[in-house]
Amino acid sequence: MPTNQEQERLLAELKTAILEYAEDQADAVTEQIIEAGIDPLRVMNQTIADAARELGDKFESGEIFLPHLVMAGDVMARVSGRLESALEPGSEGQTGARTVIIGTVQSDIHSIGKDIVAMLLKANGFKIVDLGVDVPSVDFVRRAKEESAHLIALSSLLTTTMPFQREVIEILGEMGERNNYKVLIGGGPVTGGYADEIGSDGYGKDAVEAVEIAKRLSGIDHSASSGGSS
Amino acid sequence: MTPSVQPSFHEILLRSKQGPLLEEKEFDMSLFRKTQELQKKHRIRYDPEQPLDLDGAMADRLYQAGIELYLSQGTYCSTTHRVITVSEQELAAAIADCPESVELGQGEDKVRMVHRDVEGQQEPVVVAGIQTAPFSDEQMMAVIYEGCARDACVDGIWGGILLTIDGRYEVVAGAPSEIYQYRKTVEILRQAVTAAGRPGMITINNAPTCSATIAMFDEEKGLRRSDYMESTGMSEMKVAYDDLNRSAFALAHGVPIHGTHSSVIGGFSGNPEGAAITAVAASLGLVCVHKAVCFRCGTVDARIKSRVTRKQLWVAGTAIQALNRNTRLIVDGTIGDHPAAGPGTKQYLYESAAGHIVSTVMGAHSTEGTRKFVVGNTCNYGTPLESRWMGEVCKASAGMDRRTADRIVRYLLDKYEDHLSEAPEGETYEGLYDLKNNTPLPRYRKLYEEVREELKDQGLPLD
Repeated sequence: MPTNQEQERLLAELKTAILEYAEDQADAVTEQIIEAGIDPLRVMNQTIADAARELGDKFESGEIFLPHLVMAGDVMARVSGRLESALEPGSEGQTGARTVIIGTVQSDIHSIGKDIVAMLLKANGFKIVDLGVDVPSVDFVRRAKEESAHLIALSSLLTTTMPFQREVIEILGEMGERNNYKVLIGGGPVTGGYADEIGSDGYGKDAVEAVEIAKRLSGIDHSASSGGSS
Repeated sequence: MTPSVQPSFHEILLRSKQGPLLEEKEFDMSLFRKTQELQKKHRIRYDPEQPLDLDGAMADRLYQAGIELYLSQGTYCSTTHRVITVSEQELAAAIADCPESVELGQGEDKVRMVHRDVEGQQEPVVVAGIQTAPFSDEQMMAVIYEGCARDACVDGIWGGILLTIDGRYEVVAGAPSEIYQYRKTVEILRQAVTAAGRPGMITINNAPTCSATIAMFDEEKGLRRSDYMESTGMSEMKVAYDDLNRSAFALAHGVPIHGTHSSVIGGFSGNPEGAAITAVAASLGLVCVHKAVCFRCGTVDARIKSRVTRKQLWVAGTAIQALNRNTRLIVDGTIGDHPAAGPGTKQYLYESAAGHIVSTVMGAHSTEGTRKFVVGNTCNYGTPLESRWMGEVCKASAGMDRRTADRIVRYLLDKYEDHLSEAPEGETYEGLYDLKNNTPLPRYRKLYEEVREELKDQGLPLD
């Protein structure tokens, strides 16, 4: 087992590789971390989580852009996958990885806001199943069941497509599945009041808040509030 | 040698079925790489200290960068997952074929929307009204739109929406209720402009789906061939068949096509320089693919709910200037259409003025109405006075030189740019207007006049 100082150096190198979108470097350091016997859960829950938080801050401040989130998300997904494969048998369930079904609701083709939330969630260690735009309500529910998802994230940018967010929640209820998934909503015309009205579990007024709420709903970060939803 | 011709609409459809198959993510990341390369190659540089590009040299380089981006990137068809590309000769032909003017409206209310030069005297067309906003009921919608239509400085009105039919049935996009509702609201809009004594005035509305948009066209009671059809490009540099269906209808029925697209600062265009290049390139795509005869060249910021940040003013202003210095296209700018602040506040008027001054001075029209940046579905969230402001500012800015505009815009930025994230919400029509005679309450009129005088003192010729 390397010294604490050596462990910290490796973890810092991994974080730097993620923040610089350096896939090869991240792969190499990840192998060194596994060989050194550092607990993969510690790497995922501390190092990768720290990197994700820093990426979110940089995006919010305008220092980096959506493509950088895509690149960082790809690197983190690779690293997380490799670390998961190195976990002791039986500890897979402790990784904290949660599957999110995300999409823009039916008859709405706006994608940028949803894409940003998806990338930030991915950067924060969530497994993302992005259904795209103009997604029929029943498809959210069907894919959530297929993927054993934890959370369904619904984007709507139009006043007349907001009812589809409610429709997804209604379908979950009618199918007896409402308690199996957390539902998070967002989008330009959506408010915390509307989230309460339709029985959503959370509402993000912007991408960064959406991620914080998703983490709270997933039991990853207990410090976040429920956003605009009271 | 046979002269080059632009690809016909049918040829565009063919290319949308036969062009290179590509994952959307690959297209997005390619856009990022190319915009970063092109801004270095053409020395495109955003300087926060200089919100307006004053000499035009960089705008000319931006135009070249936009041409190169469009020729290498094309338009992504999200329906077929294929890339629609055009050759350099076809693009040049499409730009050359585009009309320099288009007549809109009818009779005494007819206006001519022409190519405008940078600092040009040509009168900008102003289509105001609270764009696509929700109204509480048919009566309120009629009253507010009649008020908007009465101002001579406004050439056209955008329609809004009703959230329910007869107060009972919820309106949902893609459902029959959407068709019924949009059809109903455009009838109200036509009645309102007629009641205002301007029956031939331009009336516009655009539904989420093509079918509901088409349903609004009716020479007698709805949208007419003398209005225009919106055909929206998806951000960034993408199109779906639902949009091309609108173009198909408009081409078949002789309706002018107005394209719209917004590049995204912080999106796949990356920084403001990249967003400016994409704004130019996507505008060319609207001409080639959507067959637009006029179009909105705009930008949004992925993080801020306003369209008049310093970065946005530079991106849209420089892109509009690039297009107007290098083509005879008809460009619509409309940077001031979605302020962060709400109606009834000085900040709304400052934001709106900054955007419309930049837009007009750089050679654009303003046709996307007045509406606070959308948050929630508050009904009657606007009044005729914001339409008047939009019209007054746009008409007064025609012919202004860029240095004067730059000075006024800096003054306005000082007033609002530190307050965008916590902008005042303002009030609805009911809080700002006398419902009996459809006129602004004294306090709102006073606020309006104060800001008006303030801008006159700054050099905006409002009389």
